Formats: sequence, C-alpha cells, structure tokens
Amino acid sequence: MPLQALRTVAKSQQSRNEVHTPASTISPPSNNALSAFLKHQLPAFAAQNPSIEISVSPRPGRHPVIKGQYINGREKAICVRNMEATEVTKKAELLKTASGEKLRRDRKPVKSFNESVRGVWSPFHGRQYKI
Amino acid sequence: MKRVRLDRWASQLQPPRNPRLQVQRCALSHETTSLPRRRETQQQRQYITQTQWQCQRRTVSSKRKASTATALQEDGDEVDPETPKHSRPHKSTSGPPPLYAPSHRTAARSAKVAALHARLSLPPKLPLQTLARCLVDPSADPRPDYNNSPFAILGQDLLGYHTTEHLTCHYPRLPMSVLFAAQYAFVGEATLGSIRAEWGVEVVAAPGVEVDAGLLQLKRQVPGNSIVEGTGRRVKDMPGVRALGARLGGGRRNAEWNYRRGVSSRVVFDDEFGDLIGGEPYAGAQLSTSASEDGGAVEADEADGTTSTLPDLPQSPDDTEATTVSDASASFVRAVAGALYLHAGAAATKTFHRDHILSRQLDLHTMFNFTHPTRDLSRLCAREGFEPPVARLISETGRLSRTPVFVVGVYSGDNLLGEAAGASLNEGRVRAAAAALRSWYLYSPSKGEIVLPSDVEGMAAGKGKVWKPQVIDVGEIVT
Repeated sequence: MPLQALRTVAKSQQSRNEVHTPASTISPPSNNALSAFLKHQLPAFAAQNPSIEISVSPRPGRHPVIKGQYINGREKAICVRNMEATEVTKKAELLKTASGEKLRRDRKPVKSFNESVRGVWSPFHGRQYKI
Repeated sequence: MKRVRLDRWASQLQPPRNPRLQVQRCALSHETTSLPRRRETQQQRQYITQTQWQCQRRTVSSKRKASTATALQEDGDEVDPETPKHSRPHKSTSGPPPLYAPSHRTAARSAKVAALHARLSLPPKLPLQTLARCLVDPSADPRPDYNNSPFAILGQDLLGYHTTEHLTCHYPRLPMSVLFAAQYAFVGEATLGSIRAEWGVEVVAAPGVEVDAGLLQLKRQVPGNSIVEGTGRRVKDMPGVRALGARLGGGRRNAEWNYRRGVSSRVVFDDEFGDLIGGEPYAGAQLSTSASEDGGAVEADEADGTTSTLPDLPQSPDDTEATTVSDASASFVRAVAGALYLHAGAAATKTFHRDHILSRQLDLHTMFNFTHPTRDLSRLCAREGFEPPVARLISETGRLSRTPVFVVGVYSGDNLLGEAAGASLNEGRVRAAAAALRSWYLYSPSKGEIVLPSDVEGMAAGKGKVWKPQVIDVGEIVT
C-alpha cells in the first residue's frame, strides 16, 4: 500500500472563552429580597437566556448560593446572602458571561491552532544579511 | 437533494397513537423472569452484567431521583403498577406498550431539553419531543418507534453526504484512504462523541422513565477491564464474551477483522469510513441472500427461510446489548441531523452541518503517511508527462556538525515541485518528495469554481447556485 492515512479527530475551533453556561443553580432562601428575585427577575432572566438551564432547589438553614456549571466541568459559586434582588441579578449576569475557566491573565493576544505562518527561522531564506 | 416527504416517515415520527394510554414502568426492575427467547450470548452477557452491578441494582420499590428535580414532575395518573412486565407491545393487544425512556410529555417540560434546543439554535419546527427522542439510544429502548435509530440512519447518510461533497469538491485529488480518514475525522464516532460533550449533553448512569429527558439514554457497557465480583477475573477474560473483532460485516465475504481488504472493495462494501459495517441490521433491513447462497456469509446460517426480515426483534431493554458512550453519542448527533432534515428540510440540515461539523479544524496535510514518496513522485511525473524529478541541494549548514541541516528541493526541469529540510541529504530528499506529493494531492480549485451539488439540487427557484462542472481527478498514484 503506497499511501496510508492517519486517523485523527477534527478539533473544535471554539475557544474556551466562548463556552456556554449550560446550567445555573439558584438556591432560594427565606430572604424577602431573594424571593422577590425568584418571583420577578428570574423569569425574565430565563426568558432572555433560553440556552441556560436553570434549576432552583431548597437549601434549608444555609446561605443562598448561585452556582454556575460550565461545559468544561467547572463550577462557580457565589454566595448571595443579604443581597438585594438587583444585586443578585448582577451576580447571575456575571456567572452568565464567565467562561468557566479560572481567571487568569492572557499574555498572548492571539491563540491559534495553526502553526506559525512564518515557520521556523531559516538562515537561507528571506533577506540575506551581508556583513 | 430531494427532500423526503414527512408522511413517508410518519409511522416512526409521530408519537404513539394515544398518549393518554402510556404506562410508565421502571426499566431497572431485573427481578422479573427472563424472556423465553433470549440468545445464548446475551444470556451470558446479562449474567456478567448482573454480577458486576449487583450492589447497585435497585428494585421497583426504591425510588430513584432525577438529577434535576424540577424538570421532572411525574403524573400520578400515568403510573400503573399493575401492568404486567415485559408485555410485548406489538403482539399483545391487551395493554398499552410500556415506556423505557421518559415520555414525550415529560420531555416537553424538561429544562435540559429546552436549553439544548436553544443552545444549538435549532429551528422551532423541530419539536422538543423529537429532540428528546433523539436522546434515546437503541440500547435503552430497542423499539424503533421509540428510539433514535430511524433518525440516526438518515442522519448518518446526510452527514456523510455533506462531508463527502465538501471534501471531494474542495480537494478533488484527495486519495481514497485519506478521504476515508478525513470523513472519520469530521463525522466519525470519536468526533461526534466530543461534539456531544461540547453541546453539554450529559449521559445517564442507567436508563429509565424516571430520569430527566435531557440526558442521553443508553445502557452502558461494562468496561472490559473491570473485575467481576467474586471471581477475581476481568470481564473480558470471562468465558462467553464475544471477540471484539467478530462483527457482522454487512454480509460481505471475508469479514474477519484481520482480513486484508483493498481500497476498492472498501468503497463498494464498507461504510463511509472504509470500516466494516458492524452491528445489527436495522429493523426491516433487506438482508442480502446472495452471500448465503455462496456459503461465505457469517450470519444467516441459523435463520433459514427468514433471511428477508429479522427473526425476533428485541422489545425491551433487557434484551439489548449494552453500548459505549461514544457510539451512543454518535447516534445522538446523527439523529439530530436526521430529525432536523425531516422537520426543517435540507437547508437547515446543511446549515447544521456547516456550523457543527465543517467548522471544526482538520489539518489534511498531517494525515498523509507515505511509505515511498520518491517512487510515487517519479510515477506521478511519468503519468502527467512532466520531466522526471531531480533532487537538488538548495542550501546546507553544519555538514560536519552534530546537527546538520540540508534544504533539498525536488525539481522537474526548472520547476520546483517541493522543498524540505532534513538532517541528512537522504532525509531532505524524501521529505521534499513528500511535500511535492502533498501539494499535488491537496490541490483545491479557486473558491469561485466550487459549486456543491447540494447548493443546486433541491433549492427553491432562484435561490440555488448555477451548476459548474467540478474537477474530477484521474486518481491517485498506484505503484
């Protein structure tokens, strides 16, 4: 057989920054502000973001927590104790826009799967230096 | 491509006749008696599975909780514990058919299904119930009216078709083996499995009516390396486990896994990846009878007289063989494509394929594995009427050092066909020949010249492109 092929898998080009938030868990408390959030602001939030799965589950005797679960398997939790409804909405927006990755500084402006266009530097190509 | 009319597929598409008559039952109830007609290998497998997971088995009385409690609200009037287990739905006329996966009514209320529908930006023509049915693997419910197998068969052909036309029109000189590998890289099981994970679809621990409809329902295969309780032996070392290579082979001759198959026979007999067509034939498939007459077929020996249809289709998940997550994921993604075609049409399927399959990165030039590139290149030049290739040293450095670099070019007359660097003169020559072959095989016509068949066929008047004849290559170099 003169030519064989190597099997690979086509890689997703979606960078980590574009990962959706599939699920978001909100735990209701006895707080009035949070029950107002659950009644009035959460339906609007869910309607605006249909791609996010929202589930509400009781957490008796403990502080209310918003959790975002991301496709990369990570989870982010924010305690919303003593927060107003608008503040909780802001926290939910924060979880929504986050990628799920750990917060770290990007030092390189461009990430790419492609190998460098210029390739490895070669002394024989390009401009020849004359001493 | 001509669109298949919806009513032709209607029997598989439509929900069961009277949904009020649905009876939910627990699919994990193993304590009932087994069916009389069960095959030997399946019995042994069942035994292994049962001994393996004995401690995790649950009875009907013990409740299982869904992962998201809000999404699943059970209807009290739907549950009827008095229904006899293992009632054969198509043969018995007394009771309604049992359910082994979440009903379509719970699917419409599942938050996971709705979120998945929105996340994939599927058109509203595709209902949530169908999307939920795409998540039911044949191992969780073997009845084709309830699982995703009809959609998956259609979707596999559609995804394969769109990938093939993209590859052959964009790279008309691609050798057949690389074309097979590229097909696998785009729509093979491994890729579709990672697509399922990137979509955020999770997999059930065990299938059943009570789990969320937004989870991929399958009966998991017991890992071959796990230890069977009480024996101290691995599952794959137990007697009675079918050998891995023994696949059906779609009725072709010499279907043993190690039998040498040429590329031409792969094109004719095998699937779109050049692999043997494995697994059970789908329900109602026309099995070939010519192979059994020759005596070379693997199966159809016992089933004398009933070769046209399968003798007994399994009717409950107890009879099915377990599957892997990767295979079930592939059938799910294919089923979504098939369901999209049936509900929303060819254009939506093409958009889906472009967004989810072709958007992935695949470096075709890394998939070539040449054994004799210099010989292939000289044959190519002879075939095309070029001057015979000559390797010339373009430049070098450090010939007497530990790390010499030679830049070698392969020339046909005055034309530079390929150029590469190597640590020795011979390595540079071979690499340069491989680079020349790669650039020949990866020729792509200019963008304006490429018209895919699906851009023209089946489109509404005025919307489709004007057909241009596409490049058809003579073929790869045969040495």
